[in-house]
Amino acid sequence: MSFENPFKKTGRTWNSRSGNGCSCGRHASELDHALDRSSEDARIRSAVEETVLRAVFPDPIARRTFLSTVGSATALAAIASVFPYATVTEAFAQATPEKKDLKVGFIPITCATPIIMAKPMGFYEKQGLNVDVVKTAGWAVIRDKTLNKEYDAAHMLAPMPLAISLGVGSAPVPFAMPAVENINGQAITLSIKHKDKRDPKTWKGFKFGVPFDYSMHNYLLRYYLAEAGLDPDTDVQIRSVPPPEMVANLRADNIDGFLGPDPFNQRAVFDGAGFIHILSKEMWDGHPCCAFAASKEFITTSPNTYAALLRAIIEATAFATKDENRKQIAAGIAPANYLNQPETVLEQVLTGTYADGLGKIVKDPRRVDFDPFPYQSFAIWILTQMKRWGQIKGDVDYKAVAEQVYLTTDTTKLMKEVGLTPPADPLKGFSVMGKAFDPTKPAEYLASFPIKRS
Amino acid sequence: MIAIPLNVRAGLVSLLILATLLIAWHIAVSGSGPTAKVDPEYAKLMGATATQGKSAMPGPIEVGQKLWGLVSDPFYDRGTNDKGIGIQLGYSIGRVLLGFMLAAMVAIPLGFIVGMSPLMSAALNPFIQILKPISPLAWMPLALYTIKDSSISAIFVIFICSLWPMLINTAFGVASVRKDWVNVAKTLEMSPGRTAWRVILPAAAPTILTGMRISIGIAWLVIVAAEMLVGGTGIGYFVWNEWNNLSITNVINSILLIGVVGMILDQMLARLQGAVAYAD
Amino acid sequence: MTSNHISVQGLSRRFPDPTGKGETVVFDNVWFDVAEGEFFCVIGHSGCGKSTILNILAGLDRPSGGTIVAGGVHVDGPSLDRAVIFQGHALMPWLTALQNVELAVTSRHPGWTRAQAREHAMKFLALVHLDHAAHKKPSQLSGGMKQRVGIARALSLEPKILLMDEPFSALDALTRGSLQDEVLEMRARTKQTTFMITHDVDEAMLLADKILLMTNGPNARVAEIVENTLPKLRSRTDLHKHPNYYPLRNHLIDFLVTRSAVMAKGDSGDFDPKNPPLIRPTHAVSAVGPPQLLSGAPATDQAPVTSAA
Repeated sequence: MSFENPFKKTGRTWNSRSGNGCSCGRHASELDHALDRSSEDARIRSAVEETVLRAVFPDPIARRTFLSTVGSATALAAIASVFPYATVTEAFAQATPEKKDLKVGFIPITCATPIIMAKPMGFYEKQGLNVDVVKTAGWAVIRDKTLNKEYDAAHMLAPMPLAISLGVGSAPVPFAMPAVENINGQAITLSIKHKDKRDPKTWKGFKFGVPFDYSMHNYLLRYYLAEAGLDPDTDVQIRSVPPPEMVANLRADNIDGFLGPDPFNQRAVFDGAGFIHILSKEMWDGHPCCAFAASKEFITTSPNTYAALLRAIIEATAFATKDENRKQIAAGIAPANYLNQPETVLEQVLTGTYADGLGKIVKDPRRVDFDPFPYQSFAIWILTQMKRWGQIKGDVDYKAVAEQVYLTTDTTKLMKEVGLTPPADPLKGFSVMGKAFDPTKPAEYLASFPIKRS
Repeated sequence: MIAIPLNVRAGLVSLLILATLLIAWHIAVSGSGPTAKVDPEYAKLMGATATQGKSAMPGPIEVGQKLWGLVSDPFYDRGTNDKGIGIQLGYSIGRVLLGFMLAAMVAIPLGFIVGMSPLMSAALNPFIQILKPISPLAWMPLALYTIKDSSISAIFVIFICSLWPMLINTAFGVASVRKDWVNVAKTLEMSPGRTAWRVILPAAAPTILTGMRISIGIAWLVIVAAEMLVGGTGIGYFVWNEWNNLSITNVINSILLIGVVGMILDQMLARLQGAVAYAD
Repeated sequence: MTSNHISVQGLSRRFPDPTGKGETVVFDNVWFDVAEGEFFCVIGHSGCGKSTILNILAGLDRPSGGTIVAGGVHVDGPSLDRAVIFQGHALMPWLTALQNVELAVTSRHPGWTRAQAREHAMKFLALVHLDHAAHKKPSQLSGGMKQRVGIARALSLEPKILLMDEPFSALDALTRGSLQDEVLEMRARTKQTTFMITHDVDEAMLLADKILLMTNGPNARVAEIVENTLPKLRSRTDLHKHPNYYPLRNHLIDFLVTRSAVMAKGDSGDFDPKNPPLIRPTHAVSAVGPPQLLSGAPATDQAPVTSAA
C-alpha cells in the first residue's frame, strides 16, 4: 500500500487492488514485487507513511483534498517535520523474530512441498530464520511433538488443528491454521487386480486405507462411497495406514485400495502395484489437504517469529503455484533428506503429466496445487463431516470454531505483505461431487445426507 | 590325514552354509514377473518392476553393493533427515548405553537389597512380576504422554525394559552366595558394606553379568523399535526412512547392521563376564 | 581365669520342630572349660551338636540357653579373636592364596599399608609352606593346599582362640596325615588355645590335650572329658609304641561304638552336667588280666598310676 496520489490519470485509488502490475507500481507483476527485497523496505516505509497520514486525516475525502492541494511530496515533508518517520520505520522494519532457530515437523509427502522446499530454496533464510525441517514418523507423532513443543510448528492434515482445538483425540489445546499447504493432490488408488472394477457400487467388502482418522482423505473417501450408496462403516472397512505402508499393503493384498497422499499414489503406479482410479481433484477441485499449523501459544508469545515463518511459507506457496517452477521443486525435494523418492515420481505428481497405471499418460497440471488461503468454509465443511461420521458429538458452533482456528485475518495480511492477492470472501461456497455446499447453512447440509452417523 | 582343528572346520561349514543361502537368494529373485507391452513414453514414467518385471525383492549382489555404499561413507551429514549410517548407529548406541547404565545403576543395588533381605524380596516381588512382562512398546505412549520429550521417552523405555533381567539376576546371584564365604566375612568382623563389596559382589558377579548381557540384548531390540515409532535419528529411524522410500535393499542392510552391532555389544559384555568368572 | 580360657556354661540349643509340635533339642546343659594353651577336641557322632557348639563359639549361631565366656569376653557374635578354620576351606575363589590371607590381615589391621599386610600374610603362608604358591588361585591348588591356606588365614589373625571345624575330614588320608603333622608342629611352637571338632580318633590322640566325648543326639549331652595321657611332645612315628596308646584308643573307640548310644538312651543317673567325669586312661600294671581302665575322680589332681611316662 504505497502512498499514491489519488488523482493520477491511471485511475487507481490508494486502495485499489484490481488491474495488472503490482501494488507499488514498479514491477511487472505481484510476484516480482513480492520477490524484490529492496521494494520491501520501501514498502515498509510507505506503509508507515500511509498509516501516519491516515491518523492525521481519518476522513478519506479530506485526505484526498489535502493531497491534491499540496502534492504528495509536500504532504510528507510537512508531516515529517512533526513526526519521526525514520524512527517508526526502523522500529517497524526491526520487527525481528524473537526466536531464530526453529523446528518444523513434516511428513514426507508432496502436500508438504511449500514447507519443505522453503528450506533448500532459501525462503526461510530470507526471513532471517534458521529452520530445521524434521522428517517425522507419523501424524500422531507430529501432533504429540507439536503439543509438547519439540516442534514450533508443523505440517498437519487440515482437520487436525480443528480436532486438537476441540480436544478430539488429544488434550484440547488451542491451535491455529494460518495457511493451507496444498489443495488437491490426492487420489483413490486401487490394486492393479481391480482394474476392471471401476464402478464404486461393486466395492462392497473392500478394505481401504487412509492416513489418519482426522484427514481430508477419510472424509473424501467416505463422501465418495456414500455417494455410491455404500455405508463406509458397514459396507467396507477403512483403516489407518501410514502412507509408505499403503503401497506395500496394496502389493500384499492387505488392502484393496487407498485414498492417500502423493507421492504414494504415483509410487504405487511406478511399482506396478496399483492404478489411479480418480484424482481427488475430480471429487472436489480446490479441496484443502494439508496445512501449516501452530499452537496459539506460539503465535501469541512469538508473534514476529510466527509472522516471519508464515511469510516464508506463503512466499514458497506462491512460488510453487507456478507451473514452470514445478520441475525444479521436484528436484529440490527428492533427496533422502526430504522426501527420499525417485525424482521422476515427484515430477509426475507436481507437473501433472503422469502414468495412470493402466497404460495411459494423463496430463492434468492442476493435479496438485498450492493456495495458502484457509477458507473458513473449508473448516465448516470439515466440521460437518466430522459430525456426520460421529467424530464430534453434540452441538457445534461451526462459524465460531472455524474463525478461531482458521486464521484468515493473519493470512490475509501476510499475503498482502508478500504481494499476493488474498480472496475477499473467506466463506466462499463450493461443490463437492456436484453437490453445492453453503457454508452459512451447515446444519441443513449435514441433514441432507442419507448416510450418516449422527 | 592332517587333523584339522574344530574351529577351522566349523568356520568352513559356516561359509558353505552362507554361500548356499546367498545362491538360493539370488536364484529366487532373478526370476521375471509379467511384463506388459507398453508405450516407450509411458515406460519412461514407470519403474523397473512394472516395465521389466524385475523382482521387487533385491538380490544379494544389489544388497552387497548398497551395503558397501553405506559403510564406505558412514559419517556424511546432508541435513537433519539424512545422515550417514555411522551417525545413526551412533545415536542409537548412545541411547542404549545411557538407558542401560541408568538401569544398571538402579537394578544392581536394588537386586542386592532384594537378594539379601527376604522381607524386601517378598515385598517387591508382586511389583516385579507384574511390571516385568510389559512390552516396551506399550510403555512408549505412556512415556510420551507424561515425559513429553521423545528422546527422553526412548531412553526411559530402554531403562524400564533392561531393568528386569539385571534386577532378577542380581537378586538371585546375591542370594546364592555360598554361606561359607559369608561366614568367613562374619568371623573376620567385616562390616556389612565391606562384606557386600569384597565378598558378595565378586561372588555374585558372574550371575550379575549374565543378567547384564541379557539386558543389553533387550535394550538393543527395544531401541530399534522405539526409534521407528518416534523418528528423528537412529538406526530405527533409518530403517523407517528407507521403508518410506520402499527401498527394501537398505532395509535389509539396516537389519544386517543391527544384527552386527547387537552381536558386538553382546561380545563386549561376554568379555567382561569372562573377567569376573572364577572356578569353583 | 586366664585370658584364653573358654568357659562353656549351661549351653543348650533347641529348634522348633518342623512339624510344629514342640521342639527338637540338639544338646542341653553343656558345661566345660578349656584352659589357656590347651588343645581341646570334641568327638561324637553326627547329630550330637559338636559343630553347633563350635558355631556358637565362633559367633555364627546363638544358643537357646546358657553362655560362653571366651578370652575374657562374653561371646555374642563373631570376633577376630576367635579365628575359624572351616571344614571346606572356604577360600574366596576369585582371590589368590595371598589375597585370601591378606583379606584377613587387613580385617585385623585396617590401618596397615599394603606392603605391611603383604609381608605379614607371606609370613604365615611360609609357615604352612605355601609361599611358592602365593599367587595361585584356589582352583589351582590341591585340597590339602587349600586347607593350608585356610590355616594360614586363621593364624595370620594371631587370634586368642583357634576354632577348627573338622578341618581335615574332606581330605585324603595321606594329606590329612601331613597336615596333622604341620598342626602338631605349630602346636609345639605356638601353644595356641585350640578348639577342634573331629570324628577321627587318631587325630584327636595325636593333637589333643583333652577330648570331650558327647552322647548321641538328639538331646545330646557331655558324656565325659578324657585327658590325653600320651606325652605332651609327640610324634606320629612312635606314638603307638607308648603304653598308654591302646588304653586311650580303646576307651575312645569303645565310647564311639557302644557307650555313646547306650548313654544317650539310658538315664543319666548321678551325672552332674557341671562336672562331667574326667577320665585318664592309662596302662596299669596288674597281675590279673589285660590292662585296665582306671577311672579317676572328677578332680584333676589325681596322680596317674602309670608304669612309665
